[in-house]
Amino acid sequence: MIRYIAVRLINLIPLLLGITLVSFIVIHLSPGDFLAEMRLNPVVSSETIESMRRNFGLDQPMYIQYLKWLRAILRLDFGYSFAYHVPVTWLIGSRLVNTLILNVAALLITWTVAIPIGIYAATRQYSTGDTALSMAAYLGISTPTFFSGLLLLLFAFKTRLLPIGGMTSLDYEFFPWYGKMLDVGHHLVIPAVVLGFLGSAGLMRQMRGNLLEILRQDYIRTARAKGLAERPVIYKHAVRNAINPLITIFGFEIGGLLSGAAIIEIVTGWPGVGRLIFEAITQKDLYVVMGSLLIGSVTLVLGNLIADILLAVVDPRIRYD
Amino acid sequence: MRRWATEITVVLLLLVGGSGPLGAQGRLTLPGIPNPGVASYAPEIGKYGGTYVISQISDPRTFNPIVVQDTASGAVTGAIFESLVDQDYITGEIVPGLAESWTISQDGRTWTFTLREGLTWADGKPLTTEDVAFSAKAIFTEGVDTSAADLLTFQDQPVRWRVLDRRRIQFITPRAICPVGLFLRLVGAIDVVPKHLLEGVLAKGGADFTKTWGINVTPRELVGSGPFVLQSYVPGQRVTLLRQSKWWQVDKKGQRLPYLTRYVIQIVPNVEQARLKFLAGETDFYAARPREYAELKAQEQRGNFTVYDGPEGFGSEFLVLNQNPAGVGGGGMTPAQLSWFQDVRFRRALNHAIDRNTVAQQVYAGRATAAWSPVSIGNKLYFNDKVTQYPYNLERAQQLLAEAGYRRGTDGVLRDPQGNVVEFTIATNAGNTDREAMGNILRQDFVKLGMRVTFAPESFPSLVGKLTGTYKWQAIIIGLTGGIEPGTGRNVWLASGDLHMWRPNQDKPATEWEAEVDRIFEQVACEPDAAKRKALYARFQEIVAQQVPLMYFTNPKTQPAVRNTIGNVKLGLQGATGTLETRYYKTAYK
Repeated sequence: MIRYIAVRLINLIPLLLGITLVSFIVIHLSPGDFLAEMRLNPVVSSETIESMRRNFGLDQPMYIQYLKWLRAILRLDFGYSFAYHVPVTWLIGSRLVNTLILNVAALLITWTVAIPIGIYAATRQYSTGDTALSMAAYLGISTPTFFSGLLLLLFAFKTRLLPIGGMTSLDYEFFPWYGKMLDVGHHLVIPAVVLGFLGSAGLMRQMRGNLLEILRQDYIRTARAKGLAERPVIYKHAVRNAINPLITIFGFEIGGLLSGAAIIEIVTGWPGVGRLIFEAITQKDLYVVMGSLLIGSVTLVLGNLIADILLAVVDPRIRYD
Repeated sequence: MRRWATEITVVLLLLVGGSGPLGAQGRLTLPGIPNPGVASYAPEIGKYGGTYVISQISDPRTFNPIVVQDTASGAVTGAIFESLVDQDYITGEIVPGLAESWTISQDGRTWTFTLREGLTWADGKPLTTEDVAFSAKAIFTEGVDTSAADLLTFQDQPVRWRVLDRRRIQFITPRAICPVGLFLRLVGAIDVVPKHLLEGVLAKGGADFTKTWGINVTPRELVGSGPFVLQSYVPGQRVTLLRQSKWWQVDKKGQRLPYLTRYVIQIVPNVEQARLKFLAGETDFYAARPREYAELKAQEQRGNFTVYDGPEGFGSEFLVLNQNPAGVGGGGMTPAQLSWFQDVRFRRALNHAIDRNTVAQQVYAGRATAAWSPVSIGNKLYFNDKVTQYPYNLERAQQLLAEAGYRRGTDGVLRDPQGNVVEFTIATNAGNTDREAMGNILRQDFVKLGMRVTFAPESFPSLVGKLTGTYKWQAIIIGLTGGIEPGTGRNVWLASGDLHMWRPNQDKPATEWEAEVDRIFEQVACEPDAAKRKALYARFQEIVAQQVPLMYFTNPKTQPAVRNTIGNVKLGLQGATGTLETRYYKTAYK
């Protein structure tokens, strides 16, 4: 097992090299660079723009820029943002916790909603409850996040029950610690609900499908024949096995915890990493984009690794030797 | 003991002949500042206290005023830092700022500014001409990322300065050129920063200076001379500023400004959120778009705010045709297209085919004025209302085209004198719904003239690359920001400018009228008398209206909406509703 993990971690390096190289090339392939907006300013002369280009290192050939960036990364120097003149690590770090909070909350909602509902739907297959839930699931999957986000914002506006976007209130700094938690929670409702229900729709269908398949197995029939009550049959035997594939999904979701849900962050004004990266991409703020890609790729691959390990831990049939 | 002594002193002062802040001559003074600035433009005397909340679309990028180039950062540094002169927001005139007066030498090349006495930084240290000289030095240091250097460089020579004493500093424009008349406006580009705090950083180099006082600064370290200081910046959420207690301006009664205790800038992701927050009562100000005016007016009572019928802004939007021979081939123009675009009669005809009324109605819900001049009608100082106009008239357009030799065949298609079908593509930046709507309106009218016109929005960076790099484009709808002084737009109007959109970077002006515009801009830079500049600008506007290198559409109006609990609201240029330092909260507690 240890060898397996080590091999996977070593494989991470060429993978990251490939991802960063391709991203670097693609960003440079599209026309324009960070200074495009500045060129349309009637006051700024082209000499100034040229010297800015030199300062940012954008005047050198692509491969030199890439190698310089790579060398800096090995020293854990992610470079500076063109737009903000601050280190990329500070910039991303200032928003990372916010994204983490949002993603964890969404994860909690997804799983606490999807699993019980999936079990309910599977055990009462084809009942009215099941069909109603299935329809709700389809609606959930097909509604785009920005739409449901906007709907909830409108609801917040009309009822004044929830704040309109943002993460904290004006006087947040003066609140006691429990006030701060409540405040963030209050603001968290809309984005977390949107993200959470989006994810739970798919997960619920998965859970339902897996459980249905397990319930048809012979050993379930045996358990019932032995005289076990329905509850232990379902929860002690069936669900445990049905959860297996979902563990893998859970691992993937862990990998996605640090990547921003850009759309929902933009729609609700949640100050997370997704919004930052989206702006950086449109502005072509090179080092911010590369830094965030690197972080995202690393967490994704690690998440995959965790998923595989979890599977091996839970399912005795799977061994990596 | 000390308090007792202070009270005795106050009584003595009252007896001697002042009462409170009024000095012996009845002039307003502050302790240590014999000549404070008086905000006499403010209609009301306000009350102290309260919070004023606004929203803005993007995060600030830096808190270093020398490095600031975007409006989001400028909103913050504008409240913390100041320059020698200021601009009256109602008239647009230059008024004293940190400098209380200035003189200009006989030959017009040397400007001597005198700072007010008793100015201090927020940390208590005195503000002297050393700080002004230091700020100018920072602007011209190699490696500092600033656009102010361009404004203060004349014919490739930077302005020079000399400190005379603690309160007087001289700026000398280079000997080789004529005296610089615009200088008073340009000197406002120098934000004064404290030498005692930044000297060490500047010595390390321009790159280090650029990174100093960025958004990761500790708020306490950000020391300015302005009415507010930075209390905190929460990335992606808000900027909070607090009243600075040693500021040098007073109201008409001599009370030290600002009135407000706290000024908060909420950061929202888009204009929709800004509007929702305003309507929900979370912010006190919203710069509404023209389409929203009627709807907001209807909600005034319920939301306890007032939306004002503001004047037009200074920005412009226009259609530009490519007259650059370098744009032929390679996906750009055909030689035939170049010949049409270079033909002024063709351009005039097209200008008659632009339905400005429909643009105003559809894009701006009627709140826009038709524009034919490069200077906005909202620019009360310099707008020329007597320029040639081109009212929407398709028959006139066809007549002008016919006179120029363009014939419409029996198939209804327009052909040039050589028989080529008149067809071209109009581009604009995708995602800008206003410009996309304008493009469609234009296209429909041009098609009625018999031309084959395609409208193809594309991404902004690609557009800019074509405009300033490859020159391979045909027609583009785009806009420019504008300041109150048209003479600062040299990049656009000089034939050698790189933003001279229809034919940039010329060695010599290609046409007589472009040469004349060049001469006007050189004269304007040299003219200290605002009235004479106005005459020069009037001629400039007439030339542009006649030669039509850019076809302007409209000047949209502004419609600022302000909560009724905010006092000292008076409409000024470009929809400004007042200055930060004179706003006050009508209810003492929020």
